[in-house]
Amino acid sequence: MIVGLLLAAGGFGAGIFGSLLGLGGGILIVPLLTVGFGVPFREAVGVSLVCVIVTSSAAAGVYLERHVANLRLGMLLELFTASGALIGGLVAFLLPERVLAGLFALLLAYTALTMLRRGRAAAPAGLPVADDLGTADDLGAADAAPDPAPAPFADTLGGPDYRPRRLGVGAAGSLGAGVVSALLGVGGGIVKVPLMHLAMGVPLKVATATSNLMIGVTAAASAVVYLLRGGIDPYVAGPTAVGVFAGAMVGARIASRIDVRLLRLLFVVVLAVTAVQMTLRAIG
Amino acid sequence: MSDPRRLVPGQPPSSAPGGLPARAGRADGAAVERRIGRLLEVGTLIAIGLLAVGSVLLVLSGISPLDPEWPPLDLGELPADLLALRPEGFLWLGLLVTIGTPIMRVVAATIGFAGTGERRMVALGVGVLVVLGLAIVAGSTGA
Repeated sequence: MIVGLLLAAGGFGAGIFGSLLGLGGGILIVPLLTVGFGVPFREAVGVSLVCVIVTSSAAAGVYLERHVANLRLGMLLELFTASGALIGGLVAFLLPERVLAGLFALLLAYTALTMLRRGRAAAPAGLPVADDLGTADDLGAADAAPDPAPAPFADTLGGPDYRPRRLGVGAAGSLGAGVVSALLGVGGGIVKVPLMHLAMGVPLKVATATSNLMIGVTAAASAVVYLLRGGIDPYVAGPTAVGVFAGAMVGARIASRIDVRLLRLLFVVVLAVTAVQMTLRAIG
Repeated sequence: MSDPRRLVPGQPPSSAPGGLPARAGRADGAAVERRIGRLLEVGTLIAIGLLAVGSVLLVLSGISPLDPEWPPLDLGELPADLLALRPEGFLWLGLLVTIGTPIMRVVAATIGFAGTGERRMVALGVGVLVVLGLAIVAGSTGA
């Protein structure tokens, strides 16, 4: 009885943290279940995928109703993220769990470094980051002025003030994001948002919302494989998903009243410690 | 600012990709997005409701969620499990609705784009559904 409540409470904490820091819950749920509850890594990934679908579907619904997410661009890119997720879902059952734990440790370290850099830069939310990687203008958005010539497919995927560029790069990156999502049970926003914003010239707000929209289908493609191969434990998934959903709702409501800087620093420490634990698990 | 959808090869400047007037196409697209948004929200709430009921029944039943043995997914048993208020019935159905919700979103978007005559978007939607179908086949055959 206590374990069920603890799973829900852990999911609640992961949901709040994820919501406040703009991360999907997956990066927290897999370590919570493996390190905290001793759940085998592959089963933890299966449960995490379920939680990721729940939070992304709820958020994506709101984004679509407010017309922030770009459905057309999302449907193009999710063809590749879903393909990557299918591949990743199949590969996940071939790889030893120690290898998966090692890959997850790398993801944790990368996420910790990314958050640390974001904290140091202290850029106001909503402004483009990492200008050295190129901005929408660098990538050609500036020449998206009215043009009487026949327009390519990309023109039908844009919004009122932008036109996605480098669709090939976007497709390749999305395939990779799908593989990562399925192998490690994360939404993959940490790959997709910079990809769309920096490489494809999509505004940050739209990229974030569109990434959220794509996460559901991406995670569903691999979750189906996990589900049908017995990789999702309903007894663990139920309480955890309910907790994550409730936590994400609460996090969204209190986000404007919380100073995220200290929270981010604390989170970086948690990620670093968890990365070490995952590394130890990987090397046995 | 130019309307990107009027710049389509083979279409008059005032037409959307499917040949509809651009303004009507935008309005239809917005309506499709609203409907899909609502579908996602309702699907999520139903899924969470089922998972919450299943979780409460699980806690009340005294079953440890960390028990290494859990009941397998058996669609034929689902109605009986639900009627008997067994936690696994609600949990499995909740998981199916959770995973099914984004899939239904693709179906709804594809139908919506078919209604507005956007053939390329319909092809993309069908492509995503084919990948999801392959996932079901791959998951089933490897079980």
